Amino acid sequence: MIEPSLALYGEAYAKVDQHLEELLEQTGVRYCLLVDRKGFVLSHKEALWAPRPPALDSVATLVASNAAATAALANMLGERTFSEQTHQGDNGTLYVESVGDHALLTLIFDSSVALGKVKVYTRKSIEKVVVILDEIAEMPQPELGDDFSKGAVSLLDDLLG
Amino acid sequence: MSTINFAAREINCKIVYYGPGMCGKTTNLKHVFGRVPEHLRGEMVSLATEDERTLFFDFLPLDLGSVQGFKTRFHLYTVPGQVFYNASRKLILRGVDGIVFVADSAPNRLRANAESMRNLRENLAEHGIDVRDVPIVLQVNKRDLPDALPTEMIRAVLDPKKELTLYEASAAQGVGVFETLKAASRLVLEKLSQNR
Repeated sequence: MIEPSLALYGEAYAKVDQHLEELLEQTGVRYCLLVDRKGFVLSHKEALWAPRPPALDSVATLVASNAAATAALANMLGERTFSEQTHQGDNGTLYVESVGDHALLTLIFDSSVALGKVKVYTRKSIEKVVVILDEIAEMPQPELGDDFSKGAVSLLDDLLG
Repeated sequence: MSTINFAAREINCKIVYYGPGMCGKTTNLKHVFGRVPEHLRGEMVSLATEDERTLFFDFLPLDLGSVQGFKTRFHLYTVPGQVFYNASRKLILRGVDGIVFVADSAPNRLRANAESMRNLRENLAEHGIDVRDVPIVLQVNKRDLPDALPTEMIRAVLDPKKELTLYEASAAQGVGVFETLKAASRLVLEKLSQNR
């Protein structure tokens, strides 16, 4: 069982992008990331006024690992999973909410934004995004032939010598 | 890192370094991090204790570039090797595409190698993955130890049927690190194009 996470062009993805953009505008958060459960960034948006975000790959990995750890904890406590996590610091908040079984929506914002408001809008967006992700899951996987493998291996030679 | 969004056709693969405590998994990753050009790698994340023992995982993203319009990336992870960290070790195996098993050449770690390999099989099975379905490369590390066991003896314990590709390494000196990673990545890429 090999499961690469694949992101493709398409209308569906443009729609997700747009939902994230809307969420960003409605709530006033700094950054908004859609991360899959394996820790790969599927999509991200940042507010124009916000400073440069921290390394998003690292954020995604830590958010996904954190969610995995909390889910294991949930199982021990007899829950299927914990769908939502909020981490509040002195100046900002990290808010993570499950999007179906395969993704996590992560919002990062400062103390000027009310958590309650973020939650309300996030839940609304998630309802829409879940539908799109389900559609994508049913789309056929693209064929990757020998050419792909050859090309990738030659890049590998370049990278690792 | 470059911006990533849905408009980018991406293929992401996850490679996990597995093995007993102190066998050199983090050292492998640190060497890769140190030697790969900056624009092709992201930041390395280490969740470690104060004495630098891995507590949860180390993480390093590597960019291969674009192949036939697909941006191809590898995410490298290590697991904490210590026996009592199995709960977190199991989490990191989730969705794994390829594994590097790092074995320790020290004579007193032979049993630890065997236990770790058994633990790997058990954890994969719990994720519903057959060991034979995941590309695994065996790295026999710490060949520079004066009392290192013969490679064949270690192999006889971990891979008695000689099914796995084996590389000798001294990760602290960087010997064999890239060869191992390359072999594992190659297997993952081949598997990708076969399955699809």
